[in-house]
Amino acid sequence: MVCCMQEIPWLRKLVTYRDEVVLEAGRTPAVPARRASVAAVISNPWLGTGPEQDLSEAVAEIAPTLARLLTDRLLDSLGGVDAVEAFGKAALIGSAGEIEHGGALIHTPYFGNLMREFLGGESIICFADTRADAGQPLVVPLWHKTHAATRSHYQTVDVRVSDAPRAGEIVVVAAASTGPRPHPRIGDRSTDPAITSLTLEGAPS
Amino acid sequence: MNVRKIVTVVEEIRSEGGRPVSPPAKVAIVAAVIDNPWAGQGFVEDLGPGIDENASDLGALIAPLVIEALEEEPEAYGKAAIVGLDGEIEHGSALIHTLKFGDHFRKAANATTLLPAVEKRGPAGVLFDIPLKHITDATIRSHHQTVEVRIPDAPHPGEIVVALAAASQGRPQQRLAALSTEQ
Repeated sequence: MVCCMQEIPWLRKLVTYRDEVVLEAGRTPAVPARRASVAAVISNPWLGTGPEQDLSEAVAEIAPTLARLLTDRLLDSLGGVDAVEAFGKAALIGSAGEIEHGGALIHTPYFGNLMREFLGGESIICFADTRADAGQPLVVPLWHKTHAATRSHYQTVDVRVSDAPRAGEIVVVAAASTGPRPHPRIGDRSTDPAITSLTLEGAPS
Repeated sequence: MNVRKIVTVVEEIRSEGGRPVSPPAKVAIVAAVIDNPWAGQGFVEDLGPGIDENASDLGALIAPLVIEALEEEPEAYGKAAIVGLDGEIEHGSALIHTLKFGDHFRKAANATTLLPAVEKRGPAGVLFDIPLKHITDATIRSHHQTVEVRIPDAPHPGEIVVALAAASQGRPQQRLAALSTEQ
């Protein structure tokens, strides 16, 4: 747990969102899941720089702290590493920054490897990114943390911070779920019929 | 009472106006998405039975969750009822503007003042601002604040979002003189 008093000069705000579906389509899910996201609003460390700017130094400095901060809160919110089954990540870059700045913070090992390690995962972490005005929502995709092709765990969580990102800020997000969609029933790779365009020939279109 | 979804949001403000906020200013919101108890009944003259059936249970459900989410003693609080498009704002007001609802929060927060509120009708994902004031003295100016909330996918037309909010302190970097200095 990162101590609440620790001062991180580039961090303005943290927003934790969690939802728990009690009823879906009028029924209690067989496996009720909690989904959560944690968003950190930070100053863009590369403000005013151009495409020639080397991003690696600031990434090594900032991204590991973000990975720890965000996953600590996710685990607090969802009940620990064993409870987490699916994960995803995101960045919303304020209008004065490049999408590349957000990518630098979430797509490199300084964030991704640590997030995977702290959440007990093995899969590649799926993601969304956008350049956004403050208050713009972003849908963050999640998939299974050890078996990415597990179809029941394909789901999304909406992230929004009311007053961020400002033009010179980046919102970095880690998200996770403790289970599948409320009533998953679209099969899986192991149960799918083999479908190709040939097998469908003659089928009404 | 049919609860579809429970949403918890915690904001931690670490800096404001370029200066650190220490300890961080925390605001917690817990919202329950419920079926509108009066959905599909046309104009219901007497809302009393629906209030009796739901308001206390709602307060008892949400109040402890918001205190738990804040992880600190609340100093300011507020409430919200956001009614789906097929309902009346009166339906939301009926659920939250009763002691049966609010007393659960007042008791849990050791509070005495009236809960400031927002009531609004809107589509799923509508933005709403919950006003918060001090829990024992609503004239304490430092604690007048609001928090903006959006619940994706709620309220549906036949639903109501009922929410409570609690803050661990006043506004970050609050520096207005007390009301008494103007009197």
